[in-house]
Amino acid sequence: MRLLRIRLRDFRGVHDREVHLAESGVTVLEGENEVGKTSTVVALDLLIDFRDDSRAAPVRAAAPSGRDAGPEVEAEFVTGPYRVVYRKRWLRRRLTELTVTGPATEQLTGREAHDRLLAILDETMDRDLWLALRVEQHTPLGQADLGGHDALTRALDRAAGGGGAEAVGPAADAAAEGLVERALAEVRRYHGGHGRPVGPLREAAERERVARAEAEAAAAAVSEVERDVDLRADLDREAASLAEERRTQNARVHELEDRWSALQARQQEVATSAERAEAARERAARATERQDARTSLVAVTAAAEGAAEDAGRILAGLEAGDRARREDLAERRAEADRAQAASDAATAAARTAADALAAARDRTELADLRGRLRRAGTAEEARREAARAVAGPCADAAAVDRLETLDRAVVQAEAELAAGAATVEVTGLADHTPLTVDGADREIADGETTTLPVADAVTIDVPGAVRLTVRPGLDGEGARRRVADARAARDAACAALEVPDVAAARAALRTAGEAAARSRELAAVVERELAGRSFDDVRTAVTALAERMPAEAAPEPTTRRRGARRAVPDEPGLFEEAGLLDDPSADPEPEDLEPLRLEAVRSLDLADEAHRLARTAEDAWRRLDASVTTAGAEVVAARTAQAVARSEADRRVAELRAARAEHADEALTAAATEALARARRFEADHEQRAAALEADDPTTVEALYATAKRAVEALTRRTADVERRRAEVTGRLQVAGGEGRHDRLAAARTELAAAEREHASVSRRAAAAVRLHETLARRRDEVRRAYVAPFRREVERLARIVFGPSLALEVDPALRIVSRTLNGVTVPFDALSTGAKEQLGLCARLAVAALVDAEDGVPVLIDDALGHSDPGRLERLAAVFGAAAAGSSHQVVVLTCTPARYRGIGATRTVTLNPSYPPPQAVPDGNDDHADAENDDGPADTPSEEFRAG
Amino acid sequence: MRFVHTADWQLGMTRRFLGAGRVGQAVGEAQARFAQARLDAVAALGRVAADEGAAFVVVCGDVFESNLVGPDVVGRACEALRSFTVPVLLLPGNHDPADASLVMRRADFTRRCPPHVTVLDTPGVHEVAPGIEVVAAPWATKRPLSDLVGDRLRALEPAPEGVVRVLAGHGAVDVLSPDEQNPAVIRTAECRAALADGRVHYVALGDRHSTWQLHGEPRIAYSGAPEVTSHEETDPGNVLVVDVGADGAASVRPVRVGRWTFAREHAVVDTDDDLAALDARLDALDAPERTALRLAVEGTVTLRQRARLDEVTEAHAPVFAALEVDTTAVATRPDDADVEALGLTGFAAEAARELADAARDAADPAALDALALLHRLAVAR
Repeated sequence: MRLLRIRLRDFRGVHDREVHLAESGVTVLEGENEVGKTSTVVALDLLIDFRDDSRAAPVRAAAPSGRDAGPEVEAEFVTGPYRVVYRKRWLRRRLTELTVTGPATEQLTGREAHDRLLAILDETMDRDLWLALRVEQHTPLGQADLGGHDALTRALDRAAGGGGAEAVGPAADAAAEGLVERALAEVRRYHGGHGRPVGPLREAAERERVARAEAEAAAAAVSEVERDVDLRADLDREAASLAEERRTQNARVHELEDRWSALQARQQEVATSAERAEAARERAARATERQDARTSLVAVTAAAEGAAEDAGRILAGLEAGDRARREDLAERRAEADRAQAASDAATAAARTAADALAAARDRTELADLRGRLRRAGTAEEARREAARAVAGPCADAAAVDRLETLDRAVVQAEAELAAGAATVEVTGLADHTPLTVDGADREIADGETTTLPVADAVTIDVPGAVRLTVRPGLDGEGARRRVADARAARDAACAALEVPDVAAARAALRTAGEAAARSRELAAVVERELAGRSFDDVRTAVTALAERMPAEAAPEPTTRRRGARRAVPDEPGLFEEAGLLDDPSADPEPEDLEPLRLEAVRSLDLADEAHRLARTAEDAWRRLDASVTTAGAEVVAARTAQAVARSEADRRVAELRAARAEHADEALTAAATEALARARRFEADHEQRAAALEADDPTTVEALYATAKRAVEALTRRTADVERRRAEVTGRLQVAGGEGRHDRLAAARTELAAAEREHASVSRRAAAAVRLHETLARRRDEVRRAYVAPFRREVERLARIVFGPSLALEVDPALRIVSRTLNGVTVPFDALSTGAKEQLGLCARLAVAALVDAEDGVPVLIDDALGHSDPGRLERLAAVFGAAAAGSSHQVVVLTCTPARYRGIGATRTVTLNPSYPPPQAVPDGNDDHADAENDDGPADTPSEEFRAG
Repeated sequence: MRFVHTADWQLGMTRRFLGAGRVGQAVGEAQARFAQARLDAVAALGRVAADEGAAFVVVCGDVFESNLVGPDVVGRACEALRSFTVPVLLLPGNHDPADASLVMRRADFTRRCPPHVTVLDTPGVHEVAPGIEVVAAPWATKRPLSDLVGDRLRALEPAPEGVVRVLAGHGAVDVLSPDEQNPAVIRTAECRAALADGRVHYVALGDRHSTWQLHGEPRIAYSGAPEVTSHEETDPGNVLVVDVGADGAASVRPVRVGRWTFAREHAVVDTDDDLAALDARLDALDAPERTALRLAVEGTVTLRQRARLDEVTEAHAPVFAALEVDTTAVATRPDDADVEALGLTGFAAEAARELADAARDAADPAALDALALLHRLAVAR
């Protein structure tokens, strides 16, 4: 079918619009929203599907709002060999007009027109394909349901080069498709997913299962009874045999019982004789016991006597020893006392000797200390004296130096005076001429000349001869004064030093230094003598010693010997010249202590020896004393033991006497002998009886009897058990008998047979359905596979323009795209992006349009699709439109509100839809007449928007 | 002296082909009618005994189908026995042996059992009336280890003068079941000997459901079941009215009491005419409501003929007490006309041809079923 022209009047918002479409190639209808693009598509559907008298919802929806006019649609199209103009108006002034202009002219109206048109369409057009190739607004552009369309099938068959379709006819496969569905529905009656049985098949299987279970249960119930019957028969037999066995056993028990009773009586006799023998044995034992007791009593009495005597003897011995020891003890005591006295005397002697030694030592020390005190006192006095010398004025070395200086000044002054003064020369005329110069005696030798300065008056005496005084004149007065001054100063200094002249001062100074040294030395002497102690300490010690001395004063030691005096080696040699300091002879001769010491040691040794002896003697005494005490205790114990033994012996004797008074020893012996003999007799009797009984083997008889009795008991128990089981089985049988188990089994088996039959029958039906569906589906897929190849080739040819040359598609027999492979990556169709789905969907539709015959073809209607495609893809899709159109003459109609989307597709014709409003004053249409409703106005009057594009 | 010899009442027996009494289905109805028919036969033989003036009725074993029949079966049996006017002797057989579960010792039986009924559950001689003795050889277990009848006969002395003695036994006789391994088989030679020396005057047997008399010795006889029980039986539905003369001679006369038929039919169906003939034949059968028919069909038919055959048999099935059709010998060969008749096109036509080809091979029955289903679906369109 090809649409040539569509005219809408009073259809929804469109007042009157006619659109001419390109006969082949792409027609783009562009216009703004609500301008009536979709109405154009809807109008086509209404025109074909609804009769003019329809008041269906889509028809009513098509009525223009606010105006009293029926919607009208007129279309001109070519389909198959027919060229048709078809007009319909609904609701008001209804009409249907069909004008067929070729191949034969037909003019029909009303119902006839409608039916004729449908017939024409059914004959020439695949209406399902018409719907499938349409892309509605706002519905995702996905897979078109392309399988089973007549036109497509024919086209694909032709493309596949198959000729079989010719014979079958176009509608054949579509009808067969319905059969496949019915076969599948039949399969579904019996099988759910995964071949799971459902419905009657499941019920039949369940019925069979239940019936089988019931049949088995019923059979088991019957066999149970049969088993019980057999068991009951077995029990009956067993009870009979048990009864027989019991009879036999009972007889044996009676026989053994008799034998056993007889043996028991004899056993009783044996027991009696045993008791008798036992009693006799006991009596004999008692008699023997009594005899033994008497014998032992006699022996005990004798023993007690002996013991008492022994104790007496021991006591006497002990007492004698005790007396001797006591005497010895007194002796030892005296001896010890003597030794103690000797020890005391020796100790006293030793003490005396020690005292003498100590006194001698004190004396010696006293003498020594006194000597030291005296020497120290002398040294101290000397030291004090020396100290006093040291303390003189000339001791000051500085003062002496000053004096010397002054003296030298005098000399200098005199020298100056002399130099400047006159001189007196004195020349000796004879040897040893004495003379005195200024009082100083001098001698002058012959020829010797002495020059004397006359600084002052010089007096020269020649003894016995002349006194010559020479006086300086006045011209040397100054010098003389200086000399005088110097001399005065010197003399003053001398005076201060309490020395007459300088020499004296010097001597004094020297003397003082010596005294100081002496003083130090003496101090050292004192120190040594007193050994660092003060005089008072030494004196106190001396006093103490002196007091300690015996009042008779220090007796001259008798052993004093002068020759024994020893030198004192540490006496300093310094003082040997100054012997006044130490006069050893002043000290008393020290005593010789050695003999005293020896005496003391000897007497001490003696004292020790004596003491040791005294101790030994005392120890001996004390030991003896202790042994005497011990022995005394022994004597006491012995005395006690003797008394006890004596008492015991007396008691035994009394006892023996009493016993003998009762039974004489001989009587007891006789009784014992007699009782023993009697016991032997009874024993022999018992042994004889027992041996006789043993010979009859009562143990075996008893064992046999017991065994037989046990056997009878066991039989009784078994009988009871069998009876009990028999009763049980009988009870069970009674119960089972009333249950009609046979009837149940029969019914169950009948039911099982029926269920098996039903199951087999249903299974067969299910298998038939499966087989039929499988065969049909296989055949259908084979046919479809033949279609798939050309379809896929065409779709791939177009899709490669969009996706590139590496694209490959998988298409199933239902002509659905299963997956897309691009650059080696395969993606299932459902997983593709919306855009890719849209693009593939469009390619598939265009491929169909390209494949289908021009005669069979239907327009591809695309209402504002490709909203999901990016500009790059849009450009390629435009090329797809072109490629699809090449070599084919199909018609494509694109409706869009965004013309830019489809700019590049090379539309054969682009129609811009503008709003079509009714005129302001709508003039009522005069042509009310239904018969007159023919479209004689012609297209010339119709506002038409028509542009031809290159 | 006249008495009625019967056996193998098999009360409580059901037949599978009579259908299961399933809830919601009417198939149990034939079963119930069959059960009632068996009781009716018992009542009928009671009337025969009364009409013939028989001294007693002896039932030679298998009174009940099993010792384990339900109380309802027992109760109805007792009711049937109640209508008898002559003494009835019931012998335990192999189905109801006198073991611990013997139904005729059960409380529900003894409570309802009328006084003129005697259970021969102990072997030996029972005096029915003065001068009339019945020697019972009951089964004590399901598996006897000896010829029970022979055992009894050997224990007998010749009957006193004036006493008529009938032996009641149960089991297969050696001439009919020459089974060396079965120790319990009844040796006819011994029976003949016993009849010859006058120990007994008639050997009444049960176990065989068809009436049968030993060739040349009518006094050794199976009465057969009073109502048919199996398709295998040749002459069921009778009781024997026996007259024993004072000289020991006996005459035996069968009287029919059964009303049901278990029939076998065979039909060859190759053409449409054969189908019509079969239809007519089934129409012509008497008393179909008391007939259980086993129909064996053989032949080669097309798919359409096969459908017609199924139609015919299904149309008759409700009328019969049971109609079992064995079509294993029917070969269905779909022809081209079968396929064309479907009016299929496209791949469906190809599929139909494929199935038809496969169905011609008998080894693929599913293909035939599938083709039949295709017929149904195509027609339903």
